[in-house]
Amino acid sequence: MSTIFDFRGAPGTGWSQPEPISTPSDTIPERLRRGHLPHWPRASEPELVRHYTGLSQKTFGIDTGFYPLGSCTMKHNPRVNERIALMPGIDRIHPLQEDSQVQGLLSIFYEMQEMLAICSGMDAVTLQPVAGAQGEFTAIRCIQEYHRSNGESHRDKVIVPDSAHGTNPASASMCGYQVVEIPSASDGRLDIEALKAAVGPDTAAMMITNPSTLGLFETNIVEASRIVHEAGGQMYYDGANFNAIIGKTDPGRMGFDAVHYNLHKTFSQPHGGGGPGSGPIGVKGHLSQFLPTPVASRRESVEGDSTGVEDGYWYFWADVGGRSIGKVQQWNGNAGAVVRAWAFYRRYGRELERMSEYAVLNSNYLRNRIMNPNPDVAAKIHCMPAEGAQADLVMHEFTLSMSPVKELNGVTGKDVAKRLLDYGYMSPTLYFPQIVPECLMIEPTETESKEVLDKFAADFHAILSEDPEIVTSAPHTTPVKRVDEVWAARKLILRHPITDSED
Amino acid sequence: MVDQIPNLGRESEMLGALGLSSMDELFANIPEEVRRDEPLPLPQPQSEEQILEDARRLLGVNVHLDSRPSFISAGLARNFVPTMVPMLATRGEFLTSYTPYQPEVSQGMLQAMWEFQTMVSELVGLPISNVSMYDASTSAAEAITCAVRVKSKKASQPSSVYISELVPPHRMSVIENYAQGVGIDLHTLPHNEDGTLDLEAAASATGSCAVYVEQPNALGLLDEGLMDLREAIGGSTALIVGVDAVSLGIIEPPGSWGADIVVGEGQPFGIGPTAGGPIYGLFACSKEFLRLMPGRIVGQSIDSEGQTAYTLTLSTREQHIRRHRATSNICSNETLIALMGAMHMALLGPEGLEKLATRVHSSTIATLGAVTSVPGVELVNPEGCFFREFAVRIPGSAKEALESMDSAGVLGGFNLGNWWEEMSDCLLIGCDEGTTEADISALTDALGNWIGGASR
Repeated sequence: MSTIFDFRGAPGTGWSQPEPISTPSDTIPERLRRGHLPHWPRASEPELVRHYTGLSQKTFGIDTGFYPLGSCTMKHNPRVNERIALMPGIDRIHPLQEDSQVQGLLSIFYEMQEMLAICSGMDAVTLQPVAGAQGEFTAIRCIQEYHRSNGESHRDKVIVPDSAHGTNPASASMCGYQVVEIPSASDGRLDIEALKAAVGPDTAAMMITNPSTLGLFETNIVEASRIVHEAGGQMYYDGANFNAIIGKTDPGRMGFDAVHYNLHKTFSQPHGGGGPGSGPIGVKGHLSQFLPTPVASRRESVEGDSTGVEDGYWYFWADVGGRSIGKVQQWNGNAGAVVRAWAFYRRYGRELERMSEYAVLNSNYLRNRIMNPNPDVAAKIHCMPAEGAQADLVMHEFTLSMSPVKELNGVTGKDVAKRLLDYGYMSPTLYFPQIVPECLMIEPTETESKEVLDKFAADFHAILSEDPEIVTSAPHTTPVKRVDEVWAARKLILRHPITDSED
Repeated sequence: MVDQIPNLGRESEMLGALGLSSMDELFANIPEEVRRDEPLPLPQPQSEEQILEDARRLLGVNVHLDSRPSFISAGLARNFVPTMVPMLATRGEFLTSYTPYQPEVSQGMLQAMWEFQTMVSELVGLPISNVSMYDASTSAAEAITCAVRVKSKKASQPSSVYISELVPPHRMSVIENYAQGVGIDLHTLPHNEDGTLDLEAAASATGSCAVYVEQPNALGLLDEGLMDLREAIGGSTALIVGVDAVSLGIIEPPGSWGADIVVGEGQPFGIGPTAGGPIYGLFACSKEFLRLMPGRIVGQSIDSEGQTAYTLTLSTREQHIRRHRATSNICSNETLIALMGAMHMALLGPEGLEKLATRVHSSTIATLGAVTSVPGVELVNPEGCFFREFAVRIPGSAKEALESMDSAGVLGGFNLGNWWEEMSDCLLIGCDEGTTEADISALTDALGNWIGGASR
C-alpha cells in the first residue's frame, strides 16, 4: 500500500515560501545546529491533495452514513459552524491578548457559560477543560479541594457504577482517589442497596451518568443524591448523555453538585476522528471558588470603556481567586469548539428541548422496530434490560445483547457489528457497557430520519437471517477485510521504516 | 422554528408505532419531582443567516493578529497555514468521523495518523509518537506522570521530578494538577544569571524519576548546555524536553542528545493560534515508555487476507479497557488538528521545514537588533542565542508600554510581569515567518515613542 513517504520529489519540492527577511549572521552555535533533516515526504500540493482525498474516501463519517455509535452522540455537524470557526476573529486570536481586544470572544464565552448553567441547573461554569475526560478530572479536582478546605482530606474514595464510562474511574484515579465500583441492579439501573453499602465517611464523591449507559433514566436518582450527601460526599454528573434531557430535567434538580458537558456530543462540535473535544464543567455555588481560572465575566459598561460589543456590558477574564485549582489547559480551553457550539445552540435557543425530544423519539422508535421482527429473528436478540424490555421506555440510546444468536449459531456481537459495515453503516458501540453480554449500544440522535431508522432495522434483521458464515467473515465490501488487531499489538510497527538512499 | 431535525412534524406517526400519543410520554420515566416544566430562559431560535450575522458582528470586534504588527508568541505561533490544510482536513469524512474503533472503515484516518506519528518521530528524533495530546501543557504533565510510572520502582529518589524554574506558571499549574493526585514531589531546577540551566545544580536530580526542561526556554533562550544535561543527571533519570516544534528545522532534536520523551506545542504546524484551542500537543518517546504512555497509538497490521492495514493498538493501556488502572484518562484527543499538522508538515517537506525555521529565526534576529537599538532597551540575556522570541527590560512598566503601543496600533509583545512579578518591566517579544521590516519599524517606533514620552 502506498504511503505519503512514497513521494520522493527533488530536494526542495513542496510548497514555496518567501525568503527570510534578513540573512542572520550565524548566531546559532554549531553544536546546536541540526545535523540531518527529518525524512519527511517531498511532495507537491497536487500530489498531497489527491493523497488526502484518497484517505478521506477510506474514512467513514456521519456525512457518509448512519453512525449509531452509542454514548458518542454522532449527530449532524452544521457546516456554518466551520465557516465561523475560520473567521480571523477566532482563528487569528492569541489567548494572551488584552480583554479590550477580544470583547466579542469574551461575550460568546460568557453567553455559553450562562447557557450551560441554565440547561444544567448549575451556578457557575468554566469552559477551560478541552475534552469530556478532562472535564471529569477538573470537576473531581474541584471536589477534592472542597473536601480539603473543609478539613476532610481523609475522604479518599469515589464511587462509580459498573456501567460507567471508563474515563470516570480513570479520572478519579488520576486525582489520587480509590475507585469503588458498585454493581447495577437486575433491571440495569442503579442498585440503591449497593450504594448504601458503599458510602461512608471515606466517600469523596459519586460519579454517575443519567440516563445511564443502558439508556435508562435512573428513577431513584434523588434518593441516590440524598444517600451520598448524607455521607458527606459530592455528586458528579457525567454529561455524556446530556442530549437526552435538555429542557426536560437537569442535574441540578437531581441533586448533583458538579457536571461536565461534551460540546462535541450534545452541541455538535465535530468529533474529527477522535477530537478536538471540549468538556466544560458546571458546579453549584459551594464549588465555584475552586474552578480553574480564569472565567469570562462582565460588568455594566461605564464611560471611558473602549468600544466593545455594544450590549451595555464590558467583558473580562476574571481571576477565580486563591482557592482555584489553577489551570488544566494552559490557555482558556478549546475556544474554537466553544464558538462552534455557540452557533449550534443559537439554532435552537429556547427550543433546545426539541433536540432531546426527537433524540429520544428516534431511539425508542428504532428500538421498537428492531425488537419487533418476525419470530425467527426475534429469538436471536435480547433487548436490555432483559425483562419488560418491550414496554419499557428508553432515553436517547439503548442496548441489545447478541447472546441468543451467539448461542444459536456462533455469530457474535462483533460479527454483527462488522457485517453492518457492509450495509453502509457505522457499527454501534461494541461490548459496552460491559455488564451487557455481547452488547451493541445504539444511539440514533435527532438528526436521522424515519426512513433511515426503518431501513437500518430491516437491514439489522436481514443480517440475523443471513448464513452465519457470511456474518462471521464480515466485512466483505470495505477497503480492507477484518483487521488483525492482535498482529498489530504483537509486531508494534508504529511508524514508517523509511529507508532513504539519498542520505 | 428549529431546523436540522428531519422528523419534525412526523412525530404522531412515529409515536403511534410506539403506542404513544405525545412526546411527553417519552419522558415518563423522569420522576415528577425533578421535571422541568417551565421553558428554558433562552433566546428565540435563529436561522443560519442570523447566526452568521451575529458571529461576524461579535468576532469582528476582536482585534486579530494579522490586522496589525503583532509580536506576541509565548508558546503559540502567529503562523501561516497553507490553504490546502483547512480545505482538505474539513472534508466531511475526516471532520465527522469518531475515534477509529472500526478499522475496516477508518483506514484513511488511521493511515494519516500513522504517517503523522512517523513525521513527528523524525522531527524530534525518537522512535515513538502518539496521535496527539490536548496541548503542550498536558503533554508535559502526562510525560511527567508517565516517567514516574516507568522509573519510580528503581529510582533512588522515587516519585521525585525536577523541573526548570523557567517553565511558565500557567503550564506549571497544569503540571501540578496532574502530578498531585499520584503523589509526585516536584522540585525546581535553578537557572544561571545568563538564563542557562545550572548544570551543577541539575546533578541533584540524579536518581530521580524525571527532569523536565524546555528548549528554547520561556525567555526564548536556546541553551547549548542542555545537550550536557543527560551526562549531568546520569542514565537512569528520564529526560523530558519541551520544544518549539518549528525550531527543530535548524536545531538538533532532543532525541539526539539523550531525551527520553519530547513534548511540545504542535500548533505552528496546522492551525492558527485559535484563541488557545483547539491546538494539539506533541508526545514522542523511546521504547522504554511505550507500554505506559498516554494517548492513542496507530500500528500497522494486516487484514484477514494478509494485505496491509492500520489499527489503533496497545489499547490495553487505555481507560475504556483498563478503567481505573489506565495510564491516562485521555479519550478524545486532538486528532483532526494533528491531521492538519501532518498536512502542513508534508507540504513543507524537509527543506521547507528548514526554510520555515530559518525565516522565523531571521525575523527574530532582525527584530532583536532593531529593538535593542532603541535607547533604554536592554536584552535580559545579552549573551543569549534566540529562536522565536527574546526578553527585553525597558525603563518602566511593561503593562503601560503595551497599552501605549496598543493605541499606536502595535501588539508589542507580552508583559512578563504576568508570569513573574520581578519581571514587570520586561517584554517578551515574539516573531514569526510573517514578520516584516515594516512591522519591526512600527514596533521600534511605538516602543521608542513610549520610552521617550515616559522619560519626559
